[in-house]
Amino acid sequence: MGHPGEGLLLGMGATRAQSSGPEKIEVFIDDQPVMVPPGTTVLQAAAEAGVEIPRFCYHERLSVAGNCRMCLVEVEKSVKPVAACAMPVMKGWRIKTDSDMTRKAREGVMEFLLINHPLDCPICDQGGECDLQDQSMAFGSDRSRFLDNKRAVEDKNIGPLVKTIMTRCIHCTRCVRFASEVAGVEDLGTTGRGSDMQIGTYVEKMLMSELSGNVIDLCPVGALTSKPYAFTARPWEIRRTDSVDVMDAVGSNIVVNHRTGEVLRILPRTNEEINEEWLSDKSRFACDGLKRQRLVYPMVKDSSGELRPCQWEDALLVAGRALAAAQGSVAAVAGGLADAESLVALKDLVNKLGGEATCTEEIFPEDGSGTDLRSSYLLNTTIAGVEEADLVLLVGTNPRFEAPLFNARLRKAWVHNELDVAVLGPNVNLTYEAEHIGEDPAIIEKLLSGTHPFSQRLKAARRPMVVVGSALLSRPDGGLLYARLQQLAHQLRAGCEGGAEWRVLNVLHRVASQVAALDLGYTPGVSKVRNAPPQVLYLLGADEGAITREDLPADCLVIYQGHHGDRGAEMADVVLPGAAYTEKMATYVNTEGRAQQAQAALVPPGMAREDWKIIRALSEVVGAQLPYDNLAEVRDRLTEVSPNLTRYGDVEEANYFAQASALAQLVKGKQEAAPIDVPQKVLEDFYMTNSVSRASPTMAKCIAAIKKEAANRHRDK
Amino acid sequence: MASYFGIDKIFKALRIIRDHGGIRASLYQLYRVDDLKDGTLVGEDAMGNKYYENKQLTLGRNRWVIYNPSVGTDYDGSMVPAEWFGWLHHKTDQPPTKVAPTSYGWQSGHQMNVTGTADAYMPYSTTKPKVEAWTPPKAA
Repeated sequence: MGHPGEGLLLGMGATRAQSSGPEKIEVFIDDQPVMVPPGTTVLQAAAEAGVEIPRFCYHERLSVAGNCRMCLVEVEKSVKPVAACAMPVMKGWRIKTDSDMTRKAREGVMEFLLINHPLDCPICDQGGECDLQDQSMAFGSDRSRFLDNKRAVEDKNIGPLVKTIMTRCIHCTRCVRFASEVAGVEDLGTTGRGSDMQIGTYVEKMLMSELSGNVIDLCPVGALTSKPYAFTARPWEIRRTDSVDVMDAVGSNIVVNHRTGEVLRILPRTNEEINEEWLSDKSRFACDGLKRQRLVYPMVKDSSGELRPCQWEDALLVAGRALAAAQGSVAAVAGGLADAESLVALKDLVNKLGGEATCTEEIFPEDGSGTDLRSSYLLNTTIAGVEEADLVLLVGTNPRFEAPLFNARLRKAWVHNELDVAVLGPNVNLTYEAEHIGEDPAIIEKLLSGTHPFSQRLKAARRPMVVVGSALLSRPDGGLLYARLQQLAHQLRAGCEGGAEWRVLNVLHRVASQVAALDLGYTPGVSKVRNAPPQVLYLLGADEGAITREDLPADCLVIYQGHHGDRGAEMADVVLPGAAYTEKMATYVNTEGRAQQAQAALVPPGMAREDWKIIRALSEVVGAQLPYDNLAEVRDRLTEVSPNLTRYGDVEEANYFAQASALAQLVKGKQEAAPIDVPQKVLEDFYMTNSVSRASPTMAKCIAAIKKEAANRHRDK
Repeated sequence: MASYFGIDKIFKALRIIRDHGGIRASLYQLYRVDDLKDGTLVGEDAMGNKYYENKQLTLGRNRWVIYNPSVGTDYDGSMVPAEWFGWLHHKTDQPPTKVAPTSYGWQSGHQMNVTGTADAYMPYSTTKPKVEAWTPPKAA
């Protein structure tokens, strides 16, 4: 396939024309008049009229290929049927989507498609959700005329996530177009022509993309299916629960597919503002980690120093006594997967007991305005807003692995809107061309003063964006660098075309809990705990090892509440089993500041309970009863603390950039010489970043496969 | 004469009560087995259960067992060993006290039904649990 962008003009032209809106033209779909902008394809015009034309190769978010021919329709006064997906409408066209000619064309195309398609629907994983199956029922012939041998194609091994049964392929090339246009990896392509055409990787190699799972959804037949989900369930036996992903701070919308008390697979849910209809591989495939290494019963350390399973009463009593005896010397550390409900309950409990230190594991500088102004820690432009930007400066972040869907947006804007991207930090492969400015933190100062060559570009930009990653913020001099970037962003904002509506400063978080925690008044970073070690430390899913046993005095009692046995549970004296994100009604706030609700698909395993309920029960044992008894009351409390936390689905705008910038001017400090770095540089670093993905066998297989792929002589180094 | 007025019934009742060891013991017997019958002791098995017979009574009620007093009311039909079972259920008229039961090397001792006790057989699932629990690492 060609270079991305080449084949896109047609599809994009249509959507762009809609926004600019010249005079519309009238066409007739089955004698029904519709007004559409010029350049609209027949298929889009039909969709406007509410008529769905069958298709295989056409996809709204991909370039038009026009090679499946399923969308043939009759146009009056045209001798031949036209391919609706590729043909722009002309004024006054009368399109017949259900005429004899159209039906005959569809039936003929369907017959040709089925010539080489195996009749293995009963053992095919796509069965029940297969476009070919559905459309052959609706538009196909009722008998076969084909008596020859069917073509067979060898299956390809493209990694541990996507299973290929290439004989089923109907050559729609959606996967090829997705890989080259959206994912930005040129691994897939076609060879041969006619009935010898094959989709493949040319040479045996892995599909090395963090978005590879999406080709499974895109494939209209069962040629590309999910390897971990193979032969697991049929779509009609599955229960579906709409929820929100927590593997990164993007907050992708997902549908949890579950049955008989286990999560079978996770599929994306369309949300144009966030993930469109894509999902990153970690969000999609790490769900098998929810079945391993789980905390299913409370545990208390016995006299020999070993954690022993016990009843809830015993664990709560031990924890409660310690909390009561601590006389206010209590601290809490929240991890990256904590939900807003448990965060507020924990903060209330610690404060009620007289403790002040409620921290998050992720670091955010406290210099200047710190986290007081909400605009300082949000992705203010919003994810969809990237499409309006014309220059993005990425500082100390690798969005490809920290937020794959944000990176997919950047790539989309780079392909369609001529977005320029510049990187300050290690020169990583972002799947699109990005100008590498350097790794030296001193460049930030130069950009602010306007002495760096790139400053001119920034100044000239109409709608610039500065995206700051957590890797930069967690540097020892992160406060100083971030203050300078705040000033830079404010400077750019004043000069840019977007005006007051356009927000330049963006922070890209790595973990799902961070924004909610900061909204609730948690202190970012664990330095508070380290400087004044408490008698009782409460870890709420804190598994990244920000605080270790060595940082704490020997008599400090550590309570761990969470869903996986990981670093946090290992150092704990009392373990309280909580619920994972698929098992609780919970609020998560993504990096844009958008509150979203996760729904409970399952019940927590064993004796595990919903997290805020555990804290509420514990508060009663301690004697500092929290004033909420049900979810609605907890959410009232959330609203009380920060109203945006319960305005689900909306991005609450944040402002006060001028004030933040003014405060940032006061920040003084010593700049370190160490170059700006990011922890996740290659695909291998992407898969295991939290307790769920670390417990996932599929993620482990991915890493093993990539290590093995390093020895593949076909891959260019 | 006495039988005409039914006075012998009273004597019989008194005799039964005496045989059972007094009013108190008789009431306990009634409470324990809901029955108070006179009969001849035919034998006693290894577990201390006593077997009685009264040929005057109707078939089906004429042979009975009084379980070892130590089990109280917690007795069970399966406490009757195989050698007495046949006599008790009229499969044979020869109690093991008269005709010694055959014994083979492969025979095991009598065992009562353990359903409902701690020794009861519990089938267990052979499928893998859906959720694997975390086992804490051993303390060094």
